Amino acid sequence: MKRALAFGFAMLLAGCAPADDRPTIVVQRFFGECGAAYGKSTDVPAAETECGILTTLINRFEAENPHIRVKVNVVAWPGYPQLAAQIAAGDPPDLVTMHQSVIADYSGRGLIEPVGPLLAEAGIDPATFTPAARAGVEKQGKLYAMPWDTIGRLWHINTALMDEAGLMRGGKPMLPTSPEELLAHARQFKARTGKPYLIQAQVSAPDFHVALLYTYLLAQDAVIFPDARHIRLDTPEARAIVGTFRQMNAEGLTTLNQDFPAATAAFTQGKGGIFPVGTWMLGPYDAEAARPGSPLHGHYAVAPFPRLWGHDAAFVDGHAWVVPAAKRSPQERAAMARFMGLLARYNYDWSRTGQLPAFAPVVESPAFAALPHRADIAALARTGRQLPGYVERQSAVQGLIGEELEAAITGAKPVDAALRDAERRVNRLYAQMM
Amino acid sequence: MNAALRDRLVGYAFVGPFLLVYAAVMVVPLIMGLVISLHRADLFGRREWVGLANYSEALGDPVLHQALGNTAMLALLIVPPLTGLALLLALALNRPGRFAAVLRGVFFSSLVLSVTIVTLIWRFILTPDAGLIAEGLAATGRAPIPFLSDPDLVIPAIAVTTLWWSLGFPVMLILAGLQQVPGDIYEAAALDVANRWTVLRRITLPAIRRTLLLVVMLQTAAQLQLFGQAQLLTGGGPGGASRTIVLYIFEVSFGRWELGYATAIAELLFGMILALTLVQYWLVTRHEEPRA
Repeated sequence: MKRALAFGFAMLLAGCAPADDRPTIVVQRFFGECGAAYGKSTDVPAAETECGILTTLINRFEAENPHIRVKVNVVAWPGYPQLAAQIAAGDPPDLVTMHQSVIADYSGRGLIEPVGPLLAEAGIDPATFTPAARAGVEKQGKLYAMPWDTIGRLWHINTALMDEAGLMRGGKPMLPTSPEELLAHARQFKARTGKPYLIQAQVSAPDFHVALLYTYLLAQDAVIFPDARHIRLDTPEARAIVGTFRQMNAEGLTTLNQDFPAATAAFTQGKGGIFPVGTWMLGPYDAEAARPGSPLHGHYAVAPFPRLWGHDAAFVDGHAWVVPAAKRSPQERAAMARFMGLLARYNYDWSRTGQLPAFAPVVESPAFAALPHRADIAALARTGRQLPGYVERQSAVQGLIGEELEAAITGAKPVDAALRDAERRVNRLYAQMM
Repeated sequence: MNAALRDRLVGYAFVGPFLLVYAAVMVVPLIMGLVISLHRADLFGRREWVGLANYSEALGDPVLHQALGNTAMLALLIVPPLTGLALLLALALNRPGRFAAVLRGVFFSSLVLSVTIVTLIWRFILTPDAGLIAEGLAATGRAPIPFLSDPDLVIPAIAVTTLWWSLGFPVMLILAGLQQVPGDIYEAAALDVANRWTVLRRITLPAIRRTLLLVVMLQTAAQLQLFGQAQLLTGGGPGGASRTIVLYIFEVSFGRWELGYATAIAELLFGMILALTLVQYWLVTRHEEPRA
């Protein structure tokens, strides 16, 4: 018995690992989970998709820096409720992915810290940020994040179906130039192919319709946010935009009842003509178009949102890496700087997803220019517009507007009432903001 | 020290540790919540006294009214069928034998799954794009049904998901209740040639009356706090058609950072659950003799 006890005790002791005294950094990110495909990958140029590239980058960092321990929290997009709870509980992560439109909410309250010293330690020169990227991360004259990209929305187009619908000219898709033409094209498309003209994520995807609305309001120079505490949505311009897309739904000219994964898959399966979604799908869809046997094979094109109202414009945002305010040791800060350095070093690889790079030398590089379709979306860099810098709580606002737009466009609520309710709910949010 | 006083002190000594922990994790947060609900407060510690303004705003908030309606409808669609199904299953499985034991395990097994897994399973079943039901309908030439995006279907869809997930625990509670009923009463009934319906109505149901009350009370309280299924299956959509009160509290506190308002809604929900539970208890026990 004693021997058995001694053996058991020895096994217990043998199971105890020595204390890990390496500096630890906690990286919190969205972009999904793909450990099954990229869990061991360190070959960054070989990785594909946002999730695959970022997972590989983190693996690469761990391989290059065995003296640093990295803990990764993968959060469901966009992850801000979790981050707010972590900060409120006094247990924030060290590096967090954040949309540039959201940074002001946290910087204004001192919840994230300026990253100038970390950038300097990482050898990153902020002068190399693109103007759009710098504007996205600079608040009150300080840099509150390392920008990583500029993101916009594109029309991803199945040219085989467009051809079948008689909507190709000179090898390029014919895009509508007015809401009336949009409906005419969509009706013609459906009549000739039997499929919907648009593929749309209209379920659990509040950002989808909001990007449409912001884009076409900005195109008309409509003042969406007259000041920092008010929104203006109950307008003829907004009613016309929402009414047009409601009509598309009512006539079955778009897919219905799809969430983002379903809509993403529907496009690759050739179930519709055009998927208006972000730059981030350019890389994956281009890879799909190169795959023999795919319905998209050799039949994929992209274009910025067509000019349906006003002038060319696109609502753009960007991803960035922020540092929540917390006490950290010099070793931890050095580890964070090294991590940022690696992310910056591989910014070209990140741009293979379809996002526009945050660093001017990458934008100007021949390698970036040689990526497919980049000439087609170059206009985005010129016409892309963010909301005014004084607009706070953009993520929460997007959720409120998105819910009302979803109700209006799917026909569950009259357009006027939905826009009025969206305006009331957002203004109430601002009235309560401390 | 007399014996009565000593007994009382011993009693307090036994319940004291529990009461201390209970006060620390339940009573103190409840009082803190009440205090916060009287402030305009953000998630990060800023406070401004507003008295009962948060409560008056809650009374006029159409989104909260919709969430309240959704939650009440979910509770109605879940609690009575759940209790009835659990009773039927418990009656069927209240017998010796390996087969019944296996089935008891099967019905209990869904309960050990996390809400994430449960909603993932039901998403595969309900989604109109290649979901199990959609594929079945397609095989018979019918159009898929948008369970998760039709305002009229989301609440029933969440209710069915919850029923599937929650069935195990009430079955176990009722089984435990059934096994407490003395066998000699059933023997006496058999001697009197009572049929099965009479035995159920006159012996079994009265004997497990308090267990059934417990099931209804626990399930009512649980379903009025339904959160995970709505958040993960529909995100409260479409257009708020499946937003529950707790999902709204989550959105207001962690999405909008309005901690004071969220806490006021949470206090209202607490009051509602407490009142409902007390009413249920009173309705069931009002004709009973006081216990000695």
